[in-house]
Amino acid sequence: MVRRIAVTGYAPRLETVCQPRDIPWLAFLCIETGSITLNALLNRTNPYSGIVIKKITNAYLVQSDAGNLTCTLSQRLKQQSTGDPVAIGDKVCWNEAAQIAVVLPRRNQLARRSAVPMPGAHAHEQVIVANVDQIVPVIAAASPRLAWRLLDRYLVSAESAEIPAVVCITKMDLVDSRPESEEIEAVAAEYRAIGYGVILTSMVSGQGMEEIQAVLRGRLSVFVGKSGVGKTSLLNAIEPGLRLRVQETSQATGKGRHTTTHMEMFPLQFGGAIIDTPGIREFGLWDVDQDDLALFFPEMRPFVGVCKFGRSCRHDEEPGCAIRRAVNAGLISPYRYQSYLKLRAQP
Amino acid sequence: MKTCFTTQRRHIRFGGPRNAGEDFVCMYCHNIVSVQAPPGSCHNRNHCPRCLSSRHLDLYAAGDRLSACKARMRSIGLTLKRTPRKYATLEQGELMIVHQCEGCGKVSINRIAADDDDEAILSVFEASRRLDSQANAHLIESGIFLLTTNELQLVYRRLYGREWLRQT
Ligand SMILES: Nc1nc2c(ncn2[C@@H]2O[C@H](COP(=O)(O)OP(=O)(O)OP(=O)(O)O)[C@@H](O)[C@H]2O)c(=O)[nH]1
Ligand SMILES: [Mg+2]
Ligand SMILES: [Zn+2]
Ligand SMILES: [Zn+2]
Ligand SMILES: [Zn+2]
Repeated sequence: MVRRIAVTGYAPRLETVCQPRDIPWLAFLCIETGSITLNALLNRTNPYSGIVIKKITNAYLVQSDAGNLTCTLSQRLKQQSTGDPVAIGDKVCWNEAAQIAVVLPRRNQLARRSAVPMPGAHAHEQVIVANVDQIVPVIAAASPRLAWRLLDRYLVSAESAEIPAVVCITKMDLVDSRPESEEIEAVAAEYRAIGYGVILTSMVSGQGMEEIQAVLRGRLSVFVGKSGVGKTSLLNAIEPGLRLRVQETSQATGKGRHTTTHMEMFPLQFGGAIIDTPGIREFGLWDVDQDDLALFFPEMRPFVGVCKFGRSCRHDEEPGCAIRRAVNAGLISPYRYQSYLKLRAQP
Repeated sequence: MKTCFTTQRRHIRFGGPRNAGEDFVCMYCHNIVSVQAPPGSCHNRNHCPRCLSSRHLDLYAAGDRLSACKARMRSIGLTLKRTPRKYATLEQGELMIVHQCEGCGKVSINRIAADDDDEAILSVFEASRRLDSQANAHLIESGIFLLTTNELQLVYRRLYGREWLRQT
């Protein structure tokens, strides 16, 4: 007979997450002690738990102290969820059949809308990574064309997921001693003034490598960015043993060729890990309340609620808008303001 | 935050502005304005052809839509566009409308479209002669010379062409 377990010091209650019988050692523990804390579950010495580092067709690669293990999903977990209940970065517990039985509560998550299976069907949220320490939006100085607006989109995603972001601008060698490079430096300084770290790199000159390593050390980071910007190249340079596949961008259009096709977490020699992703355009902006959008632009935050129409101001045409006033006064970048308006119109 | 966010992104295009190329309703006379001006004036409109009002939407360059001011730009006078040709006479310059922002005072010079209302243009010309000297000095400082009564004939000729010459 298994007693119910009482969970202390951590929400949500464990009973809602799993039944002790799903995990043999947990059932055992419950019989022994009657109560445990979830922190005990997270304990790395627990032989039945680990971190999902890769998704394979119908299976997951889980990293644990005992080595990597391929797991499938338990029947119950499968039935409970419409989409994929497991994301890379998830801490999971498995049962004797090497089935993932429990996904531990997430610290944070980055989601995107999954492809709609048929017209009219409801697009549902697909969590792609969980429990990361930081998001690294990667954009290229050129080839493909530098996409500041896409960067703003990524940054808003990061803000709404409450995950810190550090920006990486790659391929600086392509604009070396051209006017673009000065412009990039100046705009980078503006992003730094907002509070984001910005690192300029080049695989050709080695620029920025020490800086980026310092930022990645000891943390779980996820690289996001369009195809061809050099995410995998960056990872190869940071961890030379990996030798991951990269591919030239199209000569004609400068667009990438979608070389990386699945997500995977790579541990780093110097501590920490990186999740490389295929070129992804959007993250969960659809569930951002449009009225809250300005809050996800940190430099706009001090002005939210100060407008003549208070919190109901859309900061577009409204008279007495404090945010527009701040743009006019040079306290907010007009380009970031445009990004705000664009994201409001097309979340 | 004390930093000034004023870097113009000159070399790297910043995606299209929002609503670019959409027809709009004039906020002042409620005329429905098609952005595409009629042939003969090969540019996109930035003011209402009926009341000549414009809005302060551009910041660094025409069409960039980067201004957050968005206040009304009133037509305050006419001027001639200076041509790059060194020995061009005044007569050769294109007739232009001078707009000034009611919100922040920014002045801009804009081309006249073929279907801009002639009467409205003439009344702008009339009104500009009553502009106070301080406003005029401000314009001259920014290198803009409003047309005066001396150039009345020129204005008529530009608006009505030969037809007008025949009538007089
Ligand atoms: N000149 C220059 N080329 C670079 C740099 N970094 C990457 N590249 C090139 O850019 C191309 C694309 O690099 P990838 O690393 O495959 O890009 P990715 O972001 O992983 O692309 P996907 O996997 O398709 O999402 C390759 O030809 C790289 O050699 C750089 O710093 N300078
Ligand atoms: Mg790649
Ligand atoms: Zn406002
Ligand atoms: Zn009008
Ligand atoms: Zn203005």
